[in-house]
Amino acid sequence: MEFPAALFPSYFGAGPPREEGGPAPAAGWGEHGQVLEAGPGRRQAQTAFVPRRGGTGESWEPADAAAVPFLPPNTSCWVPSLTPQDILYRGVLRRKLRAGKSGAALDFTKQLGHFFVDHPEDAFGSLGRLLHKNFYLGNSKLRRQARDSTIRMTALMEEIDRLEARRGCPRQHLASRLRWFSHLCRDWLFEVPLGLLAECVHEELLLQWAGLLFDDSPTAGALAWLPPEDVGARTGRLVYPGGEAMNHLYFQDVVLEELPRARGSPAQFELNGRIQQVAAARADGEDFVGVRSDYHCGVWRVPARMGAAPTPLQVIHTAVPASCLTVSPHLPGELAVCTQSGAVYLWSVETGLQRLRHDPQTMFFRDHSPWRWSDFTAHPRVLSCADRTGLQCLDARAPERCHFDLFKVGEEAGCQQGERVVLPMYLGRAHPSQHLVTTQFSMYVLDERLPLVPVLKWAHMMKAPPLFAHLTPGSPGRSHKVLLGASRTQELLLLQYQGEKHSSRGGSRSACQLAGPPQKLHSITGCLQHLPTQLPHRHRLLQQRLGAPAAGLAAALREDGPRESLLVFQLSEAGDIFCQRLTHETAQPTAPTSGDEAATAPGSSPLFEAPASSLPGLGSEEEEEEEEEQTFYFPAAALRYRRWLKALSKGCGEPPRQAWPPTLSQKRLFTRKELETPTGPSALHGQARQHLRQAMREGGRIQRWETEGPQPPALPQPLEPAGGPDPLSARLTAAWSGDWWQWWEERSSFNMAQRQRALRERRRRQKRARGRRSLSASFTSSLTYQSELSELSDAAPPPLSPGRPPVLPPEVSPTGGSPPASLAADEALLSSQSLRCRGIPKERRKTLRDYLAVWAEGPPEPTEPPGSPASQLCIPSSQGQLSSASQPRRKRPRMGF
Amino acid sequence: SSHEHKLNFKKSKEVCLSYIQDAMLQKQWKRAAEFLTFYIESLEKDFSTEYMGPSEMIWRIGTEILCHHSHSNMKEFNSFIEQMKTLGVKRYLKVCLEHAFHLLCNGLIDEAYQNLSLAESWRFGEQTAIQDKEMKLIQAYRGLLDYYSWSKQKTILLEHGQDGFEDLSVEQEMHSCFRKAAVNLREIIKIPGVWDLFVKCYVDLLEFYGDHNEARQVLNEYAYNSKFPANPNAHVYLYQFLKRHGEPKKSLISALKILHDIVPSHELMIDFNTMLQKSKKRRKRRLGLEVIFAALDYAGWKESVKAWSCLARQVKQIAISEKHLDWIKQEWNSRKDWWPAFHFSRYLAKRNWQENESLSYEKALVAGILLGKDCKYFKYVSHQGCKAQVKRFRMLKKFVNKHNPVYLRISG
Repeated sequence: MEFPAALFPSYFGAGPPREEGGPAPAAGWGEHGQVLEAGPGRRQAQTAFVPRRGGTGESWEPADAAAVPFLPPNTSCWVPSLTPQDILYRGVLRRKLRAGKSGAALDFTKQLGHFFVDHPEDAFGSLGRLLHKNFYLGNSKLRRQARDSTIRMTALMEEIDRLEARRGCPRQHLASRLRWFSHLCRDWLFEVPLGLLAECVHEELLLQWAGLLFDDSPTAGALAWLPPEDVGARTGRLVYPGGEAMNHLYFQDVVLEELPRARGSPAQFELNGRIQQVAAARADGEDFVGVRSDYHCGVWRVPARMGAAPTPLQVIHTAVPASCLTVSPHLPGELAVCTQSGAVYLWSVETGLQRLRHDPQTMFFRDHSPWRWSDFTAHPRVLSCADRTGLQCLDARAPERCHFDLFKVGEEAGCQQGERVVLPMYLGRAHPSQHLVTTQFSMYVLDERLPLVPVLKWAHMMKAPPLFAHLTPGSPGRSHKVLLGASRTQELLLLQYQGEKHSSRGGSRSACQLAGPPQKLHSITGCLQHLPTQLPHRHRLLQQRLGAPAAGLAAALREDGPRESLLVFQLSEAGDIFCQRLTHETAQPTAPTSGDEAATAPGSSPLFEAPASSLPGLGSEEEEEEEEEQTFYFPAAALRYRRWLKALSKGCGEPPRQAWPPTLSQKRLFTRKELETPTGPSALHGQARQHLRQAMREGGRIQRWETEGPQPPALPQPLEPAGGPDPLSARLTAAWSGDWWQWWEERSSFNMAQRQRALRERRRRQKRARGRRSLSASFTSSLTYQSELSELSDAAPPPLSPGRPPVLPPEVSPTGGSPPASLAADEALLSSQSLRCRGIPKERRKTLRDYLAVWAEGPPEPTEPPGSPASQLCIPSSQGQLSSASQPRRKRPRMGF
Repeated sequence: SSHEHKLNFKKSKEVCLSYIQDAMLQKQWKRAAEFLTFYIESLEKDFSTEYMGPSEMIWRIGTEILCHHSHSNMKEFNSFIEQMKTLGVKRYLKVCLEHAFHLLCNGLIDEAYQNLSLAESWRFGEQTAIQDKEMKLIQAYRGLLDYYSWSKQKTILLEHGQDGFEDLSVEQEMHSCFRKAAVNLREIIKIPGVWDLFVKCYVDLLEFYGDHNEARQVLNEYAYNSKFPANPNAHVYLYQFLKRHGEPKKSLISALKILHDIVPSHELMIDFNTMLQKSKKRRKRRLGLEVIFAALDYAGWKESVKAWSCLARQVKQIAISEKHLDWIKQEWNSRKDWWPAFHFSRYLAKRNWQENESLSYEKALVAGILLGKDCKYFKYVSHQGCKAQVKRFRMLKKFVNKHNPVYLRISG
């Protein structure tokens, strides 16, 4: 209990925090803070100094490349937690809103809309039943006598549909019809008055959003490690929640081997709510485990000897959600409980609850958060009470009179503006009077004997506030290890601090120092990259599962001669527990300080040799061992992964899929009116329709719109610089598709006149093509398709060798045997002019063209010769009649615009 | 597109920074250094209006990397820091101070002194409040180093003095060190804060030159000024000073009484208790009992043989004399509902007996008197002691049995 003979110098100010700022990404680096004379009583020799931060720590190296599953996955199906996308407004307005002051735009109307759609009975049940006779939704006109008592709602419905389709469109305006309808029925249509319902939904949304930003209910975490009774023993217990709603409490015996192993089946208790926190402490040789859910807190006693069953002792019910439960390390069966109403209780299993304080207001300044925390201190009757603004210690024997301030968010501790307490923790196992306080920016170590002035402060630079902490005390002369964990980002940080260094005289202790640089540990989600490749949808599922927010943190120290390993367990919200090992060789001297190294490595610059602007590359230097990446783990870990994945896929398989294939609806793309032809159908339309009907009757697909009319002049289109097909590949292609014989026939019986005509034709077209070549041209008129075809034939100069007949394609009709539809009809249907004259807006024309193009494409060609896609049909032809069997590929460029 | 360019630049800057962070947190100093060379570019287009600009980040990250990188040396560290000093005016003093700390921790005290002197002479317009604080710290640390060189010369002089040889120049230099140190140290300890090191050195200087009044005033101010934090060391220093100068018991006791009020668990409470027990005044002996009871309330004293023997001695005295049993009763009243579980459980009896026999002896004595001869702790320990044929445990059993009425009167 000796107090350090001298503390590190620091200023002490009072009042609100003065330092402005926010999360600074590098704030924790590069500072020594202050220095102090190393050991008093060494005046004679050269005075040595020790820094508050930047000293050397123990080296704990991760043994594996990633965290390893410790237990089989929590197989009961896990519902992924809410994401911001679920409740935030997404649309054009978003950017405007974001630019403004209001931070997040909650999609309130969407939620309300979902409610109306998902629960129409609850929303409009009775009036719907009353009115359904008077509302007509059909398309035909109403008969005269019905018109007296019935309204036709078809137009209104269409209007609503259209509204949905135009969602996010900046030029969207409400139709007057809709406006008057909503105006008329706002007061009477809804089962629950709209204002009331909206208020409730909005309130709930705000709560959900606040929970998404920062959820403090799992503070301190729901994972606890009960160490073995004597240090040498290898078996401890892990206490964790599981089950579908995380409402089962498990006590699992764990054998600490190279990789920890569960022994036997766990003792299990089913509880009455989701377990938010599991706290444990050892008092009088027995472990006491406190479990907090929102409205219930319970306490179990676990005898230290292995195999003894845990016994539930007591349960309390709170009217307001409890925010804290801590177990006394001093007296068996004592706990501290806080509720969100601002009450702090000392709970003794024997004597019951004693209220120490009830104050809905925060202690030092006003903060809206109802979160409260309480923990034990060096004095068994003195408890610390915390809210977001600071910590106070109060004596349970006279809580009103005897109290003092331990920590204040203010100038006293050098806090920043906006800083708030996130997690206080009593560090009694390292030093009886020390406490840890984490905020979203920093971590502090406090000493009860010197209140308000932190003995240690460090900016932790974590992306999410550290909600979990774990202390592994070091033996005298060694550093204490503190693990900090965040929930949402799964970050884990290992820090070491010293406060137990005895000087040679053995009298005074040195002040608290941070030892060594902080170290980042593996997160659960980090193992994803080491897992075998998964199918995309499984990968996504796994990603979601592994990326679930962390829900707890625990660590166990395993000593095996000179080798020590720290086993870190991490629990996720989905109920999975992962484990990672850090190893430390005690015999090995600690890493040399930079000062020691200064003498040994002269001249080799790791960082800056020249001024900052002209830096030499550092990549050429030799690789160091410390930076070697570990990518392999030993087979036991790999086996665990495999088992875990297998169990996961078995237990939490994909949800049942819809049996029918996906359908594509164009209902929302165009209104009925827009699709209606303005006047009587043209001949082309007639043809196209006939074609469609026939296809529908046969249940087949339309292979292609083909025209029988006169071909429009072809436009050359340099879409694909096709290489010329050599006779060999043409022959091979033919052989591949099985009509080699036919090819030979044609080749030999080719007539000379035809060849000459084809040649002449080609030259003429090439000449014309030189004049107008543009990509965009292909989409402006109906000529595109044709031009493509001709281009194909143009760009393929046949290598003609004397004495051999040129290669020509066979004139094959479509395989389906259906009469070729008119190509021109298709093009006419798609042309801008025709779309425009139907009143289809410009931006939708493309969509329609796309849509039709999907159906216009022929069936995929399975027997495509590999390695010769370009050469397959680039054969001169007189006209665009090509074999459908090999053509589909050629059409792709049209679709990709 | 200039806006877009800015956005892209900002994004890549952030990505680069996160890579650096990642590497550093995994102790991959070399990788971090490589990324940092790219990050330097962010200095060129520093559009940020953020709280911590890139130049500060580069200073922090670079310093950290150089502290851990296996190939770094002090020369490079110095040149890097010199560059950093020119990067930002606002941060100049801070960088200087940290540089001095680094030099001090590496034993380069002269270099650190030069650095501090140089920083002290730096002037740039009007100083902010933070810069003012930093300047004061720089001066204080320089004063501290002056003090150390003074103390070195003092030892030289004293050693030489024994030889009957006096060196005037050494003496003169020593005095000039004193003056420089005293001026700077005096300044900083006026400002509220924790200045243990500076106060100790300053008092040492004053005491050497015989200025006891000033020393006492400084210590009183440090301990009792309400603007300063309740630092136990301030009271310890004052107590030690008073003890050194042979002050009367009364003032020593009053100094320790205040320390007791602030930190009842302080290790000086043992001394305090012994001092009070020896006193002839009843009030002081009573206070002594209070002090030792209060100390043993704390978990840190749970296994201290010294503290338990203090309590045992006093309780024994009272039990024998059967006077002032009400003192014990009063102290015991507020503790009887939790001390048995906290100190005198069967589990603890077992463990204490195994681990520390003398501790279990002292505790058993206290338990026997406070809780009677049927108490679990006393029964277990005395039984084990008698079984092991240890004489003092047999005596203990006899004593407790004899004085069992005391227990009845305390608990009654």
